[in-house]
Amino acid sequence: MITGLEHLNKAFESKIRLGIMSVLVANESADFSTLKSLLQLTDGNLASHTRSLEDLGYIRCEKSFVGRKPNTRFYATEAGRTAFADHIAALESFLKNQK
Amino acid sequence: MEKKEIIQTLDDIRDMMAKSSRFQAISGVSIILVGLYACVAALLVAPVARGWNCLSLPYDEYGNILLNTPHLIRMMVLSAVLLFALSFATVTVMAWRKAKRLNLPFAFDKRMFQMLLNFFIPLVAGGLLCLALIMQHHYGLTSSIMLIFYGLALINTQHYTYPVFRFLGYGELILGLLDCFTVQYAWFFWFLGFGVLHILFGILYTLRFGKKQAA
Repeated sequence: MITGLEHLNKAFESKIRLGIMSVLVANESADFSTLKSLLQLTDGNLASHTRSLEDLGYIRCEKSFVGRKPNTRFYATEAGRTAFADHIAALESFLKNQK
Repeated sequence: MEKKEIIQTLDDIRDMMAKSSRFQAISGVSIILVGLYACVAALLVAPVARGWNCLSLPYDEYGNILLNTPHLIRMMVLSAVLLFALSFATVTVMAWRKAKRLNLPFAFDKRMFQMLLNFFIPLVAGGLLCLALIMQHHYGLTSSIMLIFYGLALINTQHYTYPVFRFLGYGELILGLLDCFTVQYAWFFWFLGFGVLHILFGILYTLRFGKKQAA
């Protein structure tokens, strides 16, 4: 067991969820298809990961229609940004302690 | 978790943040092509502007450039507009192809709009200023204004694409400013800024980002 990693967020253990958060923190928002092509995921896979992040309160989504097509747009919440920053800080401090 | 794995994770995060927020599809080869177009255009226009000596424009005894015949001015403006259209089209088409090849985002969304807006605001301002000066028969500063405003446009765009574009912008800006203070070398600075500098930057850009993206 390596010490110093207890601050890591379990929600971000998945590369996909970490990827989603990276996109949403770097950008104001992203829609479903943008996320899908950036992370190269299938619809179902992306939907299940966004749902779990939504349940944690890290992202929120807004559903609207473009013409007749449903369009889902995701935003990182304040809690999500904080959790993401904490996670990265934990990773970085672990690296620093290793030196 | 291994140390290596953590470094990799942080790299992935950084990559994903850059890939999603910056336009990375601009092709280095297209920058080189733009430089070549500019060289060709400059060489074609030089003899029109003044006999066959390509290094400077002709001046009368008051220091005014001697190209104020309406036909020549129209030709110069037209070739500049054509050159810009051809360059812009080349960069756009090649960026679209690169995006498709490397699965990079390429869509006319809010981010792309912001990038184009930030690029064109200084560029259009400079273009209109040039036009106004030409219409009032002040030709001396045309080349420096083109270089300066193009440089500012590139610097203004750095947050929407690879930040290295600002160095091309600084280069154009410096050449434009040097051009302001000299009288006879307008053609030479224009050739250097829009031709040679693009080619050099394009080569460096391809070496730096061409391989990394393809991997």
